[in-house]
Order: sequence, then structure tokens, then C-alpha cells
Amino acid sequence: MSENVKRIWTFIEQEDGIAHPVSWELLGAVQKLSAELEGSVVEAVLLGHNVASIAEEAYHYGAKRVYLIDDPVLEHYRNHPYGTGISKLVEKYKPEIFLVGATILGRDLAGTIATQVKTGLTADCTELAIDPDKKILAATRPTFGGNLMATILCQKQRPQMATVRPRVLPMPEPLPVAEGEIVREELGLKESDVAVKLVGFIPSKEQLLIEYADVIVAGGRGVGGPDGYKVLQALADELGGVVGASRPAIDAGWLPREHQVGQTGKTVRPKLYIAAGISGAVQHRVGMNGSDFILAINTDPNASIFQIADLAIVGDLFQVIPELTAQVKSIKAKRGIKEVNGGSDV
Amino acid sequence: MSKKLTYDAIVVGGGPAGIAAAITMVKGGLKVIVIERGRFAGAKNFFGGVMYTHAFRDVLPDFWDRKPPFERPVTEQGYWMMSPDSVVRIMHKSQKYQKQPADSYVALRAKVDPWFAQQAVDIGVSLITKTVVNGFIKDEKGRVIGVTTDRPEGDIYAPVVIIAEGVNNLLTQKLGLIQHDLHPHYVALSVKEHISLPTKELEARFNISGSNEGVAIDIFGDATVGLPGLAYLYSDKGGVSIGVGLLLSEFANHNIKPYEVLARFKEHPVIKPLLLGGESLEYGAHLIPESGYDHMPALYTDGVMIAGDAAGMVDALHREGTNLAMTAGKFAGETAIEATNKQDFSAAFLKAYRKKLEDTFVLKDLKQYRYMTDFLDTTPQLMDTYMNLLNDAALRYFTAHGMPKRDMENEIFGMVRQRRSLIGVAQDMMKLLRGMRG
Amino acid sequence: MHIVVAIKQVPDTTNVRINPETGTLIREGVPAIINPYDVHAIELAVQLKEKYGGKVTVVTMGPPKAAEALSECVEQGADRCVLITDRKFAAADTLATSYVVWRAIDVIQQEEPVDLFIFGMQAIDGDTAQVGPGVATRLGIPLISYAVKVESIDPASHTALIHRKTEQGTEVLQTSLPALLTVLKEIAPERRAPLPYFIHSLEYKPEVWTSEAPYSFDVTQIGIKGSPTIVGKAFTPPPKEAGDVVKIADKGLSGTVSYALERIGHAGVVDFLAAEGKGGK
Ligand SMILES: Cc1cc2nc3c(=O)[nH]c(=O)nc-3n(C[C@H](O)[C@H](O)[C@H](O)COP(=O)(O)OP(=O)(O)OC[C@H]3O[C@@H](n4cnc5c(N)ncnc54)[C@H](O)[C@@H]3O)c2cc1C
Ligand SMILES: Cc1cc2nc3c(=O)[nH]c(=O)nc-3n(C[C@H](O)[C@H](O)[C@H](O)COP(=O)(O)OP(=O)(O)OC[C@H]3O[C@@H](n4cnc5c(N)ncnc54)[C@H](O)[C@@H]3O)c2cc1C
Ligand SMILES: Nc1ncnc2c1ncn2[C@@H]1O[C@H](COP(=O)(O)O)[C@@H](O)[C@H]1O
Repeated sequence: MSENVKRIWTFIEQEDGIAHPVSWELLGAVQKLSAELEGSVVEAVLLGHNVASIAEEAYHYGAKRVYLIDDPVLEHYRNHPYGTGISKLVEKYKPEIFLVGATILGRDLAGTIATQVKTGLTADCTELAIDPDKKILAATRPTFGGNLMATILCQKQRPQMATVRPRVLPMPEPLPVAEGEIVREELGLKESDVAVKLVGFIPSKEQLLIEYADVIVAGGRGVGGPDGYKVLQALADELGGVVGASRPAIDAGWLPREHQVGQTGKTVRPKLYIAAGISGAVQHRVGMNGSDFILAINTDPNASIFQIADLAIVGDLFQVIPELTAQVKSIKAKRGIKEVNGGSDV
Repeated sequence: MSKKLTYDAIVVGGGPAGIAAAITMVKGGLKVIVIERGRFAGAKNFFGGVMYTHAFRDVLPDFWDRKPPFERPVTEQGYWMMSPDSVVRIMHKSQKYQKQPADSYVALRAKVDPWFAQQAVDIGVSLITKTVVNGFIKDEKGRVIGVTTDRPEGDIYAPVVIIAEGVNNLLTQKLGLIQHDLHPHYVALSVKEHISLPTKELEARFNISGSNEGVAIDIFGDATVGLPGLAYLYSDKGGVSIGVGLLLSEFANHNIKPYEVLARFKEHPVIKPLLLGGESLEYGAHLIPESGYDHMPALYTDGVMIAGDAAGMVDALHREGTNLAMTAGKFAGETAIEATNKQDFSAAFLKAYRKKLEDTFVLKDLKQYRYMTDFLDTTPQLMDTYMNLLNDAALRYFTAHGMPKRDMENEIFGMVRQRRSLIGVAQDMMKLLRGMRG
Repeated sequence: MHIVVAIKQVPDTTNVRINPETGTLIREGVPAIINPYDVHAIELAVQLKEKYGGKVTVVTMGPPKAAEALSECVEQGADRCVLITDRKFAAADTLATSYVVWRAIDVIQQEEPVDLFIFGMQAIDGDTAQVGPGVATRLGIPLISYAVKVESIDPASHTALIHRKTEQGTEVLQTSLPALLTVLKEIAPERRAPLPYFIHSLEYKPEVWTSEAPYSFDVTQIGIKGSPTIVGKAFTPPPKEAGDVVKIADKGLSGTVSYALERIGHAGVVDFLAAEGKGGK
């Protein structure tokens, strides 16, 4: 490859040998960026232990080359060895753009790399584009509690780094046939060089991945209390979905925090989002306005959630939701459907 | 760090009464601590109203050089009397109001209270915020020698405590200085909104030329649904404060909600255009004691004095409260200094505080208007019948009908008689006079 | 034990409003608060101090007004506060911020070695979560982000057991000290600080450091010069087109709901509701 090829990198996040879907969302977006950036190539970075098979997957999402550091020290994610390993790759191959998923892991890692290689990093982006004049990355993100969007540019330093929220970009279709190459690199660290040891792990009681649910039945302050959520849960169960919530409901302890949708919660992109008793504050909307179909139920005809709803029902959720549950049940009975599975078991 | 915290005097509450007391005492050489429950002094106070410079000058002669953050001087003031579709206005505007400092200012307490407290801090008062006084420490004879707070290691000792806790006088009750919670009959609830307007619009709508002018309007009649109460409209720097106040008992008796009364008032055809295009910045409610002279708590006991709203020192008729509070605070502070000099904090000595207040406008005014609340309460026709009558009469008076003026006068007189018997009118006037003269 | 906490004073974003005409922030009247995560960082530091003995030092880079925030830290129990303030530092992005905070921290640790650094997980004005990782990297010490619990500290062996949140659960990590934690709110619930801390705060004045003393800077790494990122443009999110509205009052409950299901079916978002040729029911 020529000297001034512009490498666009995506970090492939994996845990226990399973790639985080945000990596593929990013690769999907990178295809488009690459088309607008002359002389650019789409590449990926993968670290872990015995994870080479993931590189194969990456080719199907458009990566032409995967830089792989495979080392026992990288068995579980830890900031220091991952940060050191990737910073070395960056210094060696000098990518033009480097994208990382804005997951807990990704945000931990990206801040370290950016400081190590002394470049700019835009956090938690919701939109990526190539500035048509300057031919650099234009990364857009919400600020001030979602009240304002800001487009951030990094003019001089390289790579231009950004973390991007899971589910704000669409999941691309994998290519049926694809190939690429693996470039293996050394980590250059021994276990004894790493000061932090993983000595235990407590799995979450509830494995809720609301970000990847196809159907979400969400409730807000209008649900009135934990008992109200049982009504929503019944509908979610019928639809094979999960229950979501606005922040006041979470703050009041009606549901665990994993259920929160919005600016300070999860960004979701289900096929169907039912918002019941949610007024539709911007901080909530930024977390769910990418949903394919939004059904909003609110007693207040002026509720701002209606502005983004595909269908708005002015009415009491305690009437509408049970009726929805009943009618869905009868449709399923009629069509002979027993179990549906659109939920969150990724 | 478990050394006993000891001061010469403790003040509970960082409102006008408390800060005035604290400044007075620090100037008299005492070591003073003020305990305020809000995040900062004035944090719990959203009032936009009128404050009076005489009270500031009494406590802090150089207050004007310390740049108080008032909104606008009051250069025009008066009353609007409303019926459902019209208003009769009695306004007074005078060049004589144009001086610096003016007699009174429209002020936002959320700005003025922190400023006033800062002046106290600057001259040496210790101000503790975000801390609630929740009880008293007493000696073996039952005399108050300190307070307890809601913080760990939170006891504070002092031979004298000035309670300036405002209208929710839980501590005053705890000491048994008043037997009961305020009766809904003797406490008003005021709901207020602060609405911003472009300065140009504001000045045009209220006929104000420049930042050195401002209006304060008190409004009766339909503004409070014809019930005995008061609505108000004050111009501040970049908007208006608008509110309505009614006795708690009225809300209960008539089954109306405070915010409904305000919302209705804002829709009044005379008011609505004044607010058009404004943005609501904040909204809140606060109580005003209207217990009057005859239902005040005892103002002192061993080691304790009470000042301001906590003691019911509000002259509702003239919407004066802050100045009574400050003057009372000042005299409580002076009495505390004398007590410290004599090392006598007994009730017998602190009685001097009440004596001093009796010679000031504070207790004199309260005494004069002692029957006012009762009068308003027992004369519901005042805010309803009479206000409508006034407006109808005005309409009649100002409309040319091509009939002799004498007939028109008779007609107006007839309107009066129709709505209230002549004896009724005479009785009402007598009662009003009694309410005004004490 | 010497603990250093980094805090930031931020506008209370719950009160931020946008001027709908200009699309800019209305800052007037928006109270400044300590970044909520940092409040818990201080709380943790003070609780560790109470348990293991030692001292809590707080640093912040910000405008002179940020001194208020430091006073609040003393109220909460901090012992020493440093305000780093200078026009030259203004308009810093996270890279330049972490550089300046690191320079200050370096001076502090020269004076008195530090065992633990505590940062908030993120600041609510920017939500970047980068300054903590940045400073840890510059210090060359272990970073444990998203910390939710300090299980134990062993001063003798200079190690600590920390719980860290991940997407799947909670990691229990053993680290050598000094280390840098960025913390979530559950790390230490807010409590009522003892009154003597408050009394102490009345007398305490934070130290103010400018770009002069007591440290040295590479001027190319501070302020706007040291910030690789710039804001290209800022705008309010564009509104989406509203869909249609049905009222129970018009269609009746059952009619409204069956219409809704029909619409969902047509949109093809739930397979088993999809129109079966004849379009639902
Ligand atoms: C920095 C910041 C971050 C934030 N992050 C988030 C976030 O991540 N997620 C989030 O959700 N919020 C967030 N918020 C809070 C957000 O601003 C709103 O306060 C919140 O979303 C409002 O929640 P709600 O709609 O449930 O409650 P409300 O606004 O109180 O609305 C309740 C609604 O229920 C309706 N209702 C009541 N009863 C019924 C009934 N029986 N049937 C039908 N409808 C009924 C009412 O008409 C009303 O519209 C954040 C705020 C800030 C400042
Ligand atoms: C809507 C409205 C409009 C008004 N308009 C006017 C007007 O135009 N002009 C005028 O002169 N007056 C007006 N008043 C009356 C005036 O506000 C009061 O009379 C005045 O505030 C009394 O001062 P104060 O110091 O006694 O009490 P406050 O100002 O109420 O101060 C009491 C303070 O004590 C604190 N506190 C209470 N309990 C505790 C505790 N246990 N521990 C620690 N701190 C405690 C409170 O947080 C508060 O800051 C108005 C009142 C209202 C409600
Ligand atoms: N200007 C600053 N001064 C000191 N600490 C800061 C500053 N900005 C951020 N921090 C710290 O870094 C954390 C994360 O901030 P941020 O990266 O801006 O989201 C905050 O919670 C603080 O602990």
C-alpha cells in the first residue's frame, strides 16, 4: 500500500470471544465515510486471546485488514495492556480516523489511547460524516443534556478519534462473501507488567440488553409506581419485548437502572417503541427517536412525545395497554402463535 | 473535632429578620452564627415584591454603597379594582419618587437575600447553610442555651438564640411560645410566577421610561375570584412578578386551587396582553402570616427572642413584611447586646425587646390593623359586589347615552341599592373604618 | 493516606434552556454546581480518610468562580483545595484539561506522595468521561473507571480491591497503589456532613494557582492551543415529522387499539402482526 493511504480504523470490541455488535455498526458507517474520503481503506483492530475467528466476521462487515494482537495477557479486558497495545499500533500505522464504540469498555479505552498518542477524541457521538470541504471527520454529539448538538472537528492531530454510541447507527447486512488479511502484532507486555488483576466477577442479576430489543414497552412517571409496570410487562411479554422507562421512574426506584432510556440511560433502536405516560423530554427522545415505529400513549393531547410518534393515542395508559395486551393475545390465538422471541437475549 | 461549638449568639434563619439581627450583633462585638436551611440565604424564597430602604439603612447605614441588587425603584404604584371584564385604576406616579436611593424597590429575594447575607458575612458573621435547626439545648432550669441541628456533631451553644425562622414557625411552637399551628384563617397562601419579557416590551406595556422607573400594582376583585385576597403585578428588570394571595381558609371553603386562581388571573382581558409572549421562569408558592396583633406568639422567653414572620409581623394591607422583619431583627439584636453586657439572658431582661418594638411602627401598625383580616373575612361583598359595582358605575359614567347626567347619577345610585342595602353599605363602611383605625 | 480528588464546577444542566430562535444556551440564571459524580468522589475520599486516616486534597481547573465549589468540598470534609485558574487555560478540550490537571497533581505529589486519585466518571456538561483516563495515562498509573465500590485498601502492601461496573456485571479488581478511580454515584452515597467540617469551611480559603507558579507548562499543550478538537457548529436537534393522532373519545377504546395494531402491522415492525394479505382485521 502506498505511503499516504488513509486508514480508517474501527476497534472490534470483544468479550469471551464474542464481538460486541457496535463494532459492526461502526464498520457499516465506515463504509460510507470511506466512499467520501479519497484514498481511504477500511481496517479494524482486534485484541484478545484466541480471537482470530472474529477477524473473519469483520471481513463480512467490510474490513479489508484486521490488525490482531493475540496474547494471554489480553484474555480479559484491562485498560493498561489494551491501551498500550493499541497505542503502539496507532503509532506504527498512523491511521487517519479511529472509531471506538461508546460502551463502558470503549470509553475506558479511547480516553487512554487519545492521551497516549496526544490526539483529539470526541465522545459519545450520534452521527458521523466527512466534512466535504476539509475532508476530515465531522463527529456530531449531544451536549448540555441533549439540548444542543455540536459537531466536533479535529483538524491537525491524527488519528481523529471518536466514540460512537451503540444503536445510533444502523446494523449493516453482512456481505455474503468477503475476504481480508490479518496483520499480527506483538503486545510486548508480560502479565507481571500489569498492576491490575481481575480477581472476581459478579454477573448482573438481570441480563437486560435493552439496546438490542426489537420491542420496547416503556413507561414514565405516568405509570405511577412499580405496580403500573406489571401492566406494561404483560404487554411486553405478549409482544416478546422488554420494558423500558424514563428517568424519573428509575430515580424513584420503580425499575432497575438498566431499563432507563435516554441521554443518561441507553440509546435504543427497536422496531417498535411504545411510550406510555412519558411526556417526551428531549433527554428521553434522544435515546429512542431512532426507533422504527413509535406508538405514544398519553392523556395530555399536547404531550411533546406526540411530535415524534408515528401514532399517538390520547388516552389513559391503564385503559389502552391492557386492551392492547388483550387484542394482541387474541390475534396470536387466531393465528396460532404461541411463543414470540423479539427480546433481548443477544 | 468534637470541641463544643460556642458562640455569643445564634440566629436561626437567613431571611431579612435573621440577617438584620446578625449584622446588628456583630457590629456590637458579639460572635454570631446564622443557621440557614436553604442552599443559600434566600434559596427558599422566590418572592418578587417591594422592599423598603428605610429598613436597610437602619441596619446598615452604608447599604447603598454596597450595591444592593434591586430590580427597579417603585416610581408608580397603586390599586387596580377588577370586575370580570374591566378595571378601575388608582395609580400614583410622582417625580418625588425619583431619588437615589428611592424609598422602595421592586426586588427579587432570590437575589437580595444572598446579597444581604454576604454583607453580614463580610463584616464577620458566620453563616452556615444547608443545615436545619431542629431543637433546643436547655440547661437544668429549662433555659435555652443552644440549638441542635440535623448534622452529625451538630450541637451549637450560645446564651441567646434569635429565632427568625419565617412563617413555618416550628421552633416557636416547640418552645411553647405559640400553642398551635397557624389557623388557616390567619395565614395566606401566595402563588407567584416570574415571567420574563424583553425590556423594550416591558417598558412600553407599563409605561416605564428606562431602568430607573418601575411599577408596583396591587389588585383586588375579580383577580382573586372576588374573594378577600390580593393579587399583584410588579415590574422587575427583565419581566414581571405576578401573583395572587388568598387566605388558606378561602381555598378550602371554596374548593379552589391556588394555581387555578393564578391561571385565571393571567387570562383576564386586562392582564393577558401585558404578559403576551413572556416566558415563565419560575413558579412557586409561599405562606404569609396574617395572624395580626392579637394572635402573635410571645416574643421572648429565657434565652430566646422571636422576630419577623415567625412572630406574625406582617402588615398585609400594605404588603409590608420585610421591613417589619428587619426592624424587629435589629431590636432583637440590640437587646441581645445589652443582655450580653449585663450577662442576663432571662425572660425578664429580654422583655425589653418587646417594649422597644411597641414604640416602633412594627407593633403600632400591627395594632392599628388588628381587625383587618377579620373584617375582610366577614365582609365578602367588598371584593365582589363593590368591585363589580365600581366597574359598572364607571362604565355607566363614561358612556354617553344622550340622557341627562342627573338621571345617570340616580341610576348608579340605584345600582348600589339594588346590590347592597343602604344599611349594609353603612355597616360595611363602619367596619372598614374600624379595620383601618384599629 | 493522601487522596487527591479532581472536581469540576458545571452548570446545572437540569436548568439549561435553549433560546429557540438562536439555538444558543441561555446561561443566565443557571446555577453552577459541583459535577454530581464528583460530589460522590469527595464523599468517598472523606469516608476513606475517616477510616484509614490521612488527608484529602481537591483540585479543580476553572474560572475564579469555581472557588465556590471548593468551599463546598471543604464543607464535605476536604482538607486542602487548589484552584487552577488562568486565562491561558481557557477553552481547553479534554486533552488540554488532563494535561493541566496532571501538571498540578504532579506538584502536589512532589510535596506529599498520593495513594489514591479519585475522579468523577464524567462531567454532566460535556459527558465525555475522558479527563480521568487522560490523567491516569499521563501519571502512568493504573486506571479503574466506572468504579462502584472500594472493597478494601491495604496500606501496608499498597494495594486495593475495587469493584468496577461493566456491561455484563461487576469486576473485582486488585490494583497496586497509587491508582486512579473514576467513580459512579453508588460508590459512596451522599450523607449529611458533620457540622465541624462546615465551620472549618468558613475560615478556609482555597489556594489559587495560575499558570506561573508553582509549576511549569509546555505552552503548546494548554488552553486552546493544546486542544486538538474544535466545535465546528452547534445546533438544536431538528424536529421529526409528527404522525397521526387518535383519540379514544372519537374511536372508542377497542376501535383505537385495533387501529393501532393495524398500523403496527402495516409498518411491518412486528412479524406476527404483519398484515396477512388482507391487512390485519
Ligand atoms: C442532564 C439530564 C439528563 C437526563 N437524562 C434522561 C434520560 O436519560 N432519560 C429520561 O427519560 N429522562 C432524562 N432526563 C429527564 C428528562 O428531562 C425528563 O424529566 C423526563 O424524561 C420526564 O420523564 P416522564 O416523561 O416519565 O415524566 P413527566 O414529564 O412527568 O411525564 C409524565 C407523562 O405521563 C402522562 N400521564 C400521566 N398519567 C397518565 C396515564 N394514566 N395515561 C397516560 N399518560 C399519563 C402525563 O400527561 C405526562 O405527559 C434527563 C434530564 C437531564 C437534565
Ligand atoms: C408572595 C409574597 C409576597 C410578599 N411581598 C412582600 C412585599 O412586597 N414587601 C414586603 O415587605 N414583604 C412582602 N412579603 C412578606 C415578606 O416576605 C416576609 O415578611 C419576610 O420575608 C419575613 O422575613 P423573615 O426573615 O421573618 O422570614 P423569611 O424571609 O421567611 O426567612 C426565614 C428563613 O429561615 C430559614 N429557616 C426556617 N426554619 C429554619 C430552621 N429550622 N433552621 C434553619 N433555617 C430555617 C428559612 O429557610 C428562611 O430562609 C411577601 C411575602 C410573600 C410570601
Ligand atoms: N476542569 C477540571 N478540573 C478538574 N477536574 C476535572 C476537570 N474537568 C473534568 N475533571 C474531572 O474529570 C472527570 C470527568 O470529566 P469529563 O471528562 O469532562 O467528563 C470529572 O468528573 C472530574 O473529576
